[in-house]
Amino acid sequence: MSPRWRKVLRDVSLHKGRTLLAILALATGLTGTGALLDTWSLVRRATAGTYLASLPVSATLRVERVDEAMLGEIRASPRVAAAHAQRVASATLVAETGETPALLFAPDTFERTDMARFSLTAGRWPRDGEVALEGSSLELSGASVGEHIRVRAGSGEPAALAVTGVAHDVSVAPGWMDHVVYGFVTAATLRRLGAGAQEIQFRVRDAAPTRENVRAVAEEVRAIAERHGARVLSVSVPVPNEHVHAAQMDSLLLTQGAFALLALAACALLVVNLMAALLAGQSREIAVMKAVGASPRQLLAMYLAYAAALGLAATAVAMPLGAAIARPYAALKGQMLNFPVEGFAIPAWSFALQAIAGALVPVIAAAFTVRRACRAGVAQSLREGAGGGERLVTRRIAIPGVARPLMLSLNNAFRNRGRLALTLATLAAGGAVFVAAHNLRASVVESVDAMFIGFRQDFLLRVAEPQPAQRLESLVRAAEGVALAEAWATASAQAPDPGGAPGDHFTVLGVPVPSTLMSPAVLAGRWLVPGDERALVVTRPLAASDTRFQPGREITLAIGGNEAPWKVVGTIEGLGQPIAYASRDALGRARGDERATLVMAAAELPDRAHPLPVAMRARASLEEGGVRVATSALALEMRRALEDHLLLVVQFLGALGWVMLAVGGMGLASTLGLAVLERTREIGVMRAIGAPHGTIAGMLHAESLAIALMAWAIALAASVPASVALGKAFGAVMFPVPMHLAPDLSGSLQWLAAVVAISVAACAGPSLRALRIPAVRALSD
Amino acid sequence: MQTPFITLRGIHKEYPTPAGRFFALEAVDLELAAGELVAVVGRSGSGKSTLLNLLGGIDRPTAGEVLVGGEAVHALSESELSRWRGRNVGIVFQFFQLLPSLTAVENVMLPMDFAGRWPAGERRERATRRLAELGIAGQADKLPATLSGGQQQRVAVARALANDPAIVLADEPTGNLDSRSARELLALLGEVVREGRTVVVATHDRAALAHASRTVSLADGRIGEAA
Repeated sequence: MSPRWRKVLRDVSLHKGRTLLAILALATGLTGTGALLDTWSLVRRATAGTYLASLPVSATLRVERVDEAMLGEIRASPRVAAAHAQRVASATLVAETGETPALLFAPDTFERTDMARFSLTAGRWPRDGEVALEGSSLELSGASVGEHIRVRAGSGEPAALAVTGVAHDVSVAPGWMDHVVYGFVTAATLRRLGAGAQEIQFRVRDAAPTRENVRAVAEEVRAIAERHGARVLSVSVPVPNEHVHAAQMDSLLLTQGAFALLALAACALLVVNLMAALLAGQSREIAVMKAVGASPRQLLAMYLAYAAALGLAATAVAMPLGAAIARPYAALKGQMLNFPVEGFAIPAWSFALQAIAGALVPVIAAAFTVRRACRAGVAQSLREGAGGGERLVTRRIAIPGVARPLMLSLNNAFRNRGRLALTLATLAAGGAVFVAAHNLRASVVESVDAMFIGFRQDFLLRVAEPQPAQRLESLVRAAEGVALAEAWATASAQAPDPGGAPGDHFTVLGVPVPSTLMSPAVLAGRWLVPGDERALVVTRPLAASDTRFQPGREITLAIGGNEAPWKVVGTIEGLGQPIAYASRDALGRARGDERATLVMAAAELPDRAHPLPVAMRARASLEEGGVRVATSALALEMRRALEDHLLLVVQFLGALGWVMLAVGGMGLASTLGLAVLERTREIGVMRAIGAPHGTIAGMLHAESLAIALMAWAIALAASVPASVALGKAFGAVMFPVPMHLAPDLSGSLQWLAAVVAISVAACAGPSLRALRIPAVRALSD
Repeated sequence: MQTPFITLRGIHKEYPTPAGRFFALEAVDLELAAGELVAVVGRSGSGKSTLLNLLGGIDRPTAGEVLVGGEAVHALSESELSRWRGRNVGIVFQFFQLLPSLTAVENVMLPMDFAGRWPAGERRERATRRLAELGIAGQADKLPATLSGGQQQRVAVARALANDPAIVLADEPTGNLDSRSARELLALLGEVVREGRTVVVATHDRAALAHASRTVSLADGRIGEAA
């Protein structure tokens, strides 16, 4: 090996601490990005392999009835690959500890092979009076195979169903996440429970259809159903071949990927600092090498090879760590999507990409610093010596009344402004992510609060058959603990477009006007007022899905087979669903049926925190009055389900914030180390004129703290746009939930505490080194 | 005087400082013949080191020309200058400036490595031979920190001679040595001159003057007298 490469190797072993710090920093960033890349590759493979292999449903039509002739004609349609009928019932799982919403599916066969394949993972398929639970909701149900669950669907007392097996259906969102128990039963079981809506599901032949293509096929299927005398109640066309939680996954991975890249960038800044430290320590050696004939290119190659070696060493550490993190993380994501990530062999391209990034990131980061050092004048470098020379101070900060050592520390912090900027950028970037993650968490909670502000109901009851509104209200109000009750009507509507397409189905809720339970914040226009006839207030998601739903515009709605013009009078936030609100009386007149199917109720104040007993008494009161209740739901549960979806993503961001703080701390430590190296002579002079250990260490600590506090302030300022951008991206992708920026004071204070701790920790090593400098040695060079 | 091997013509060198411009050399004209041992004397700050830096191509004049063996050194690009230095100039520093992470023999091999001089397989042998000529073959595999000042300066001389340069520049080479080591070093430089090389020594050491074939005196950046 030639002497120059031997020198590079020996420098690595001579500067073990600095080398290890650089490797650790790079490994931290590379572990984060590698883990996400590996996770993405595993989840992507599982998505393609498992979800698409299940041959997902293209569209679902809710119909009044279905028969074999109708299904046969649908299956014969050239654009339809497969079609099946199933009954679906909303139900409630009743346990001693409370009630949980449930959804029961009765497919025409449990052995589907051509569409929406689901499988049995334990036990056997149910017979009449039995149920197979979907695996993701097994824990939520509190039951296991061989036990019984009590289910109420429709009327009367809950029925006991024996759990015979555990099924796996990749098309449903995880039950634990949606707070819904999914079960598979026979059609006879649903009939015995007295509930269930008939659906036709089909899959298009086109392997990569657009949503418009599927809608067109759905219209054909609808026409076939209507030719067979079945009224089509609704048509649902999801995004083709996309899992129900796919957008969340994308959002999660994209956001985390962006932050992982930011962490890697922060690590790269740290490498710049560390390389600067190394080069400053070797400026005289570089000058000597140049004096004996080394060309700038030869020197550049030496130091960039060193940087690449650091990166490769870090990659060697980071790759197995990233893979170790990715495997359980991918499994968790699989759980979130309700399909197992089978096979944890990370693809070779992921490792290759990490190795390339690992080698290139430090080289790119160090290139400028190395180039500058290798081009420095030989004579000047020889004059200045190791440490690159003490920087000339031509201006200084002076604050009256501040002690001289402290003043010196403050001035020291500003001596090398380029390096200070780099250190602040690294540390502040970590802080900004940390604070932004806290703010995002607070914003999520506040946004969900804001969504529920106009909704005073604590629970809702859906009755099996429409009933006169006054009857429902009086029965519920009669229950002990009920403060307010309102009966609401529901209808499915479509807004046919001028071209003749029928438009998507959406729900219209008929509320009493004025309502005692609903007074939402209005985004545009106004809320419903007495006397409104065919006036609509729409939620933001509905307004976003169809530009015709703007306040002031008139739109034709098809409700219950009748088409009539309605006027949009306002827009509200809503709960993330495309819903329109109308006056209950006006809706009744429009559909020719003034009865209601929903009862919204608020508990009396002492019971509002725990409204379940009140809801159960209200339900009992309805059933004692002869009104069958199909389902019930607590607003608290709905809110928890919504928050759980959102906060899961935020927690990962918080973890990344901590990683970036660690990297920032390392950056500060390297900056201080460099400051000590450069000021060896100055420290020696101070020691020579009698500065005690405490003063020298104190000055470094003050300098460290000054930098840390600056980073704290910058991070606070940077976290504002970061929080806004995150909130917007988060709201836009995760749910149609616009984010309310909610600065979280605790996050800022935690960041302050962290930054002070970091400043103390980062200063420890450099302080010790400074104290070991003998005055005579410091002055001899 | 023989045909000049080194010619400095109308040299000015100034440095910007926060206090204003500092003139290190002003209107310097100098001619040196091949095989001369030239002592450059003067007080601290008189411009001795600057003159050596210009001769060795490790600094450039603000104005004027530096011609060595007919080559306009001042006009070379940075990478050309590196190559030229590696093949034509050997430098001995006051503080030796050996690379601390390389052994004595590796320090001597380093200029050969950078210049690509001699086949790679021959470099160690050549370097060892050079150390042996200077009487320190036994120290070849030791790190500089384990050598005495005199031994380090011999290694530095061996390094300066590694590529058989035509010019050897020594900046206060005895400044950090005891009197015995200083005498030995000056004798060594005398031998280097006898090999036909041009040696320029910046020094305060009166003993060095006795070995010099010519003395150039500098004061405030100007040549005062030449003997």
